[in-house]
Amino acid sequence: MTFQTNPDRDCAQAWEAMPWVLQGSAPREQGQALMSHLVHCEECRAEFARQSRLQLAMSLPSDVPLDANVGLKHLLGRLDAPAPQEAPGRSRTAGWLTRALVAAVLVQALGIGVLGMKLWSEGSLPRYRTLSETAQPAPTGSIRVVPDASMKLADWDALLHAIGLQVVGGPNDVGAYTVVPQDSTSTEQHVLQQLRAAHGIRLAEPVTSTP
Amino acid sequence: MNDADTDADATDRMLLQRMSTGDRAALAVLYRGYHGRLCRFLSRLTRRPDIIEEVINDCFWIAWQKAGNFHGDSRVSTWIMGIAYRCGLKALRQHGDEPVAEDAVPESRVPAHNPDEDRELRDWLGKGLVHLSVDQRVVIELVYGVGHSLDDVAAIMQCPVGTVKARLFHARVKLRNVLPSLAGDSPMREENVP
Repeated sequence: MTFQTNPDRDCAQAWEAMPWVLQGSAPREQGQALMSHLVHCEECRAEFARQSRLQLAMSLPSDVPLDANVGLKHLLGRLDAPAPQEAPGRSRTAGWLTRALVAAVLVQALGIGVLGMKLWSEGSLPRYRTLSETAQPAPTGSIRVVPDASMKLADWDALLHAIGLQVVGGPNDVGAYTVVPQDSTSTEQHVLQQLRAAHGIRLAEPVTSTP
Repeated sequence: MNDADTDADATDRMLLQRMSTGDRAALAVLYRGYHGRLCRFLSRLTRRPDIIEEVINDCFWIAWQKAGNFHGDSRVSTWIMGIAYRCGLKALRQHGDEPVAEDAVPESRVPAHNPDEDRELRDWLGKGLVHLSVDQRVVIELVYGVGHSLDDVAAIMQCPVGTVKARLFHARVKLRNVLPSLAGDSPMREENVP
């Protein structure tokens, strides 16, 4: 028999036909052709014997111990049982699952809400300024004034009131204040002259927005 | 399909028709008629009797519910085996296919005219089937054990006929390689198969 490297057409057909000939479902001609082939092909005879034995073994009754009457009794009991018990169980499980998911979503929504409120209350402006960021520009007409250390607060207040100035910044690290005229009609030069002429003022210079 | 198969199918259809009207006696007849072959068929999937009984009863519970929907597109046996196959796969997914110990099968329950011959044949078969996949064992059982055609097996397993042919071919090759046909034969190499 040459099932091997150079398959014989007859052997291949014999191989195909064996299960159906053993079943008795193969056409008569196919059965006769197989039997003719088996007469002169020893390997196909051995294979057919193996197939016959396989069919015999497969047709043995089951060796698993089961009683049909007992099984039938169980089945009839199942048919008599009230509507399927599984469905309510499944729906209970599904109900718990749904409730747990809803609770989780609510907790998440609550957390997001609290976080949003907290961020909103803190305002939108950050509490820091980066080095690349431009400084808040001083108001137009600002003047930087350094009063003498010995100048009394009452004299400083009287001077500001007399010239019509308002402190908008300071004092900084060197004791300078930033002031702006309350009256928009007074010119910067005039105010500077008044300040420089006043007693107790060490320095008065206009603030330029761009160094 | 021969005359005996045609008669058996006609009887099965009549029983199904009666089942669709709620006739439990018809259910009992069909159940007893199929119990043996379903037992053997399912024992190719699992060796656990409790799972086999559970699957058989699942199968007939479905058959009872769907009896009125059977339109006769196939033989009743093909329809029932298909339901059993799907129930069996579902049970395997749920329980696994762990076998029971061999001594759990009482010898007195195994009908045989010659217990020694049958035991030898079962051992011989067992040595071969253990090398096959579940689907290959099912195809071998349906073709050699039950006697279904390729078309029937394809309908039962809900797959193309070509797939059934391939499973049958590979199962036969494996069996050929591991099973000696007669005492003294040595197993053949895989490359010696067409």
